[in-house]
Amino acid sequence: MPPETTAQAVLGPTAGAGAAVPPAIAVNTLTKRFLAPDGGYEFTVLDRVSLTVEEGQFVSLVGPSGCGKSTLLNIIAGIERYDEGSVALAAPSGRAEAEPRIGYVFQSPRLLNWLTVQQNLEFVLEAQDIPRPRWRSLVAEYLDRVGLGGQERNYPLNLSGGMQQRVAIARALAIEPDILLMDEPFSHLDAITARKMRFDLVEILQRAKPTILFVTHDLSEAVFLSDHIYMMRTKPARIFRHVPVDIPRPRKPEDAMIFDLEKVLIREFFSVLEAKE
Amino acid sequence: MRIRPIVSRILPGAVTFAIGICVWQIISLFFVPVYFPGPGVLADRMIAIYSNPASYVVVGETLSRIFEGFAIAMLTGTAAGLLMGRNREIEIFFDSWIMVLLSFPAVCWAFLSVLWFGLSQAAPVLTIVLIVFPFVVMNIWEGTKAMEKDLIEMGRVYKADHALMLRKVLIPQLMPYIFSSLRIALSLSWKIALVAEAFGVASGVGQKLIYWFQDTRVDMMLAWGVSFMIVMVAIDVLGFRWWARRAFAWRHHFAT
Amino acid sequence: MALRLKTFALRAGSILLLILFWWAASRLMHDPDVLPGPMAILRTIATDLSTPGPEGKSAFFHIGITLARIFVAFFAAMLMGTGLGLAMGLSRICERSLLAVIPLMLTMPTILMVFLAVLWFGFSEAGGLVAVMAVVTPYVTVNIYEGAKAMDNSLAAMAITFKARRPLLVRKVYLPQLMPYIFSAFRFAFGMTWKIVALAETFGLKYGIGYMFFFWFEQFNMTQVLAWVIMFVVLMLILEHVVFAQLESRAFAWRHSLAR
Repeated sequence: MPPETTAQAVLGPTAGAGAAVPPAIAVNTLTKRFLAPDGGYEFTVLDRVSLTVEEGQFVSLVGPSGCGKSTLLNIIAGIERYDEGSVALAAPSGRAEAEPRIGYVFQSPRLLNWLTVQQNLEFVLEAQDIPRPRWRSLVAEYLDRVGLGGQERNYPLNLSGGMQQRVAIARALAIEPDILLMDEPFSHLDAITARKMRFDLVEILQRAKPTILFVTHDLSEAVFLSDHIYMMRTKPARIFRHVPVDIPRPRKPEDAMIFDLEKVLIREFFSVLEAKE
Repeated sequence: MRIRPIVSRILPGAVTFAIGICVWQIISLFFVPVYFPGPGVLADRMIAIYSNPASYVVVGETLSRIFEGFAIAMLTGTAAGLLMGRNREIEIFFDSWIMVLLSFPAVCWAFLSVLWFGLSQAAPVLTIVLIVFPFVVMNIWEGTKAMEKDLIEMGRVYKADHALMLRKVLIPQLMPYIFSSLRIALSLSWKIALVAEAFGVASGVGQKLIYWFQDTRVDMMLAWGVSFMIVMVAIDVLGFRWWARRAFAWRHHFAT
Repeated sequence: MALRLKTFALRAGSILLLILFWWAASRLMHDPDVLPGPMAILRTIATDLSTPGPEGKSAFFHIGITLARIFVAFFAAMLMGTGLGLAMGLSRICERSLLAVIPLMLTMPTILMVFLAVLWFGFSEAGGLVAVMAVVTPYVTVNIYEGAKAMDNSLAAMAITFKARRPLLVRKVYLPQLMPYIFSAFRFAFGMTWKIVALAETFGLKYGIGYMFFFWFEQFNMTQVLAWVIMFVVLMLILEHVVFAQLESRAFAWRHSLAR
């Protein structure tokens, strides 16, 4: 992959024009096209998408499946190319390193099944060049935080789906990321487990406070968790609305304010869908 | 409790095996032992062969050729298979070479390597390598294609470097394919070794086979062939299966 | 389109490079007894094909004999292997008894099989046929047996609830499901057959391509050995990648008809 088109390469000078503190993530009129493998037609996955996430915010990106949300996360994570526009990431103010550290929780756990839970965490610690003496305490701390203390020596295949996803979350947190990308992390879990995990996530994030971009198709999840919501549509694949969520924390999922906002947002989705028809 | 299933699993096989031995013994009574030896005669000949210490040298020679050829073919084949699986251009460029290599009969290489290297150690080893290499490449190549893209992507997100990626993400996923290649390669290697020795060199088990073949002594030929077969099967079963069980422990590991 | 052109260019380039290597190596060796160059080989092949060789037999005669042997042995092994594999899938007794024998046959070294067949059945066509069948049949049997094991029972149950009779069941339900296995056995068996026929010809049989390998090998005629090896390899490559590929794409037309 030529480096000039990955997200990391656009860091620095272009970021934060004017503002005192540059936003943690600034995506500007980003366009991404796929070429069908036989070289036939072109297909626009992201059409001039812009969004900003300030340092320490929890921002959700909501949209129907297939609207390019995951592609956007991959571009921000630097593993996919894009065609036009820019992506700028900034490390938190007052840190020497220019590059922010990125954690990623995927839709499926993506654990290395041949390694123990502890070794799975150590894999990313080694990848991120975190000094070996710190591994032990980091692994213990973050496994404990996701409620998996004592499972260090177990293999992923012995864990339930929910526990595997917790390991994946611990793995993302263990590198103490500046930016945490989450791609529908609870969508493969059953409703009850997912609900419990949402509570736990809020709890965990009280202490570590990374900037979070959270992708979901579940509006109530987005409203419950986020400070800001960006809504995306397909054909063209664009962001059509930005909603700040001013509901005070701590929140409860059955809060009337959450229900109200969810209702408003669902109505907006439908009006956009109908307008397309 | 656990003995019953084992008995019921082994018993039918053992019974057919015993019946087979009896039938073989009975048929052999109608022939001259030199032409169609029974199990008793065969055992007798094997004892005769292995009470002569020189026989172990013969077996040792063949084994050393097998392992040399096998090791070279495995290493080069795995590397080439990985490269072909990971890089589209290399794949397209070299797949016709592999196809050509695959369609060479072992005898051809045996002849060619004798003509090139004479009756030396290199001739049978080269024959083994040239026959086994493309099979290993095909197998590893397939394994590389079957690797999970998701995990590779995960490694890239967390910025794992090439060495770490290879050690923790790629090689473990390749392990089943490496194991199946090892077993295919071993069984091919020793069969080819015998062919190559029969033509190429004046030593080893293969030479014994062709010697007794030309002397039309089926009993001696079988005694050499079958005893060597037992050695190779033992290596396969004791070595590889045991190792494979350990390497894939994570699949069956349960918390205690 | 561009992709296809690139693929073609890469393939052509790789074959050219192979020939170039060969040519360069032969020039460096400078000894046609060790490694004759591609042109010398081409000339030898041309003369072999156009003029009668030793004993007044032309190259086409040997090629024809080898092909005939390959096809007879191949079809015999396929038939027998498919029959045995099906029998194993359908009957417990067959399964048990064959499962005891087959691993033994699979581990038996090829050369021992060939020698045994030749000693027992003589330096004759029968000896060669037995040798090839003894080596190839177990592989075919195992493959077909696996296919029979993997058969979708719910489909058979469906057919039986519709009162399909056994011949119909075999023809319309069992065989189509077995086809992929039969085909993979087909390919595999073919690849093995020609190599063993070559082996049997070098040792025991009169005439044929393998016989010619040995004939020239004994005279230490490198150019002729290489010429025959290359004729053989090219012939087999054509058979496998052109003829079989055609057959296969026709047999599995139903799989692709939806995509079109």
